[in-house]
Amino acid sequence: MNRLRVFSVPYWIWTILLIALPTVFLVVLAFSDYSLYNPGNFTITLKNFQIFSQPYVFTALKNSLVLSLITSFICFIIGYPVAYYLSTFGDKTRKIMLSLLIVPLWANMLLRIFAWEKIFTPNTIFYDIFQFNIDLLGTKSAVVIGMVGMYLPFMIFPIFSVLEKMDKNLIEAAKDLGATDFKVFLKVVFPLSVGGVVSGVIMTMLPSMTSFVLPARIGLGRINLIGNIIESKFMKEVMGSAGLSINVGSLVSLLIMLVSVAAFVMITKVDKEGETLI
Amino acid sequence: MKTRVRKVMFAKGAGMILTIMTFLLLYIPIIIILILSVNDSTRGYSWEGFTFKWYVMLFVDDTMKSPIVNTLSIALLSTFIATVLGTMFAIGIHALQKKHRVRMMIMNNVPIVNPDIVTGISLMIIFNLVAFTLGFQTVLIAHIFFSIPYVVLNVIPKLKRLDPNLYEASLDLGCTKLGGVWRVILPNISTGILSGALMAFTMSIDDFIITYFTSGNDYMNVSTWLYAALARQGRNSLAPMAYAYNAIIFLVTIGIILYINLKKERKLKTT
Repeated sequence: MNRLRVFSVPYWIWTILLIALPTVFLVVLAFSDYSLYNPGNFTITLKNFQIFSQPYVFTALKNSLVLSLITSFICFIIGYPVAYYLSTFGDKTRKIMLSLLIVPLWANMLLRIFAWEKIFTPNTIFYDIFQFNIDLLGTKSAVVIGMVGMYLPFMIFPIFSVLEKMDKNLIEAAKDLGATDFKVFLKVVFPLSVGGVVSGVIMTMLPSMTSFVLPARIGLGRINLIGNIIESKFMKEVMGSAGLSINVGSLVSLLIMLVSVAAFVMITKVDKEGETLI
Repeated sequence: MKTRVRKVMFAKGAGMILTIMTFLLLYIPIIIILILSVNDSTRGYSWEGFTFKWYVMLFVDDTMKSPIVNTLSIALLSTFIATVLGTMFAIGIHALQKKHRVRMMIMNNVPIVNPDIVTGISLMIIFNLVAFTLGFQTVLIAHIFFSIPYVVLNVIPKLKRLDPNLYEASLDLGCTKLGGVWRVILPNISTGILSGALMAFTMSIDDFIITYFTSGNDYMNVSTWLYAALARQGRNSLAPMAYAYNAIIFLVTIGIILYINLKKERKLKTT
């Protein structure tokens, strides 16, 4: 099949054009005053860094980090046992349960966020159905619950897929050699599922760290994340054209890119070809 | 022995409770969307009686027509192109030496791991640089861009299971290079291609963030239309038609998946 290698050449060009090139430009934009809309001369400058002296930016960075860590941690605490529990079922039930976990992801993300908004507002449709109120709109807890509700499946899938592929004989062997259930889990099952956990943590942490609609709606705009800053710098819909600055936005996005690069290094360590990603 | 049984029971119970919790967390918003789609209230604040009028309006009223047409045409086109390209790339990547293959797969996974907002602004910057007007064409390229990796990831495992000698044999028996791909490789990886295409389609039809950054001012899909409608009209005045639209998409996708799974099972039974 060696002669089919040519098929991968256009993909190289494609990824260089649409991944490598924009990344280079993001760096150029972040460290200069190059204007994307009126290209011309530009000078290298660090003045875009001034954005970090603004207290609201610092709060947003802190919120992003803290809320995404909490979200990812809660997803792990719930997701691992669920993945484990689901992997103990027979073939057929397992398939059904798994598809039931995927189904909600087909509902539009924005509409799901609006639904969470309704859940956290007292005396709305949620009260009409369930007869109780949850008054959390505009709080960090609401944002975290919403994020867990949005991203939890992305923790469960990768863990589930490694647990499913695990050789069950190893567990039997460990038991035969006298390990208790807890020890089997700690010494055999968990170490073998680390790859799934790493993917899961990354797939829940990155999207929650960078979400902007969810904190804006469920947090009532009181809780800003890094995504909200980027959005306001790139899109005039948020703060008007006066607030726009592609250069500052690029600089802030580079921070996220640093996190993604770290995530990447971790993923490639545990899973070279990204098989746990889908 | 007794404590061991109790421990196992406890673990099972905890697993079950957390699983139930997970399903509640995932399905309550869906139930709310479905209920709002049949709720006779423009503001969607409280229950005001059962109605199908939003579903009817979806086909009669023109408000959502262009976003829906845009969403569907982008989803169909980008899925088709991404599936063809992705399958081709996957075959190419699979044929590479290990070192190059791993490198290629890392590049392939960038759009999956990278947060959508980063992908969105990267594409927006590159489109502006090459002076593409943001609109249909840029959204299409963007959707193809984020769909291809999913097709590749679905096809590669099937290729790994394929005996490489089969392809060589087809060449020895007189197939051309492409003929061999068409007659030997493709039929053997068709399930991977199909699941990749399905994934690409669902990603595209649902996308908000990447479309938002690459669509410019005039071109809208359902998600960006919703977002703009909210900005225009403020809180809680969302057209309930959107709920109806989403309910239809939702039920159709479930139908397709069920159909495919049932068909697969029937095939397994007959063979």
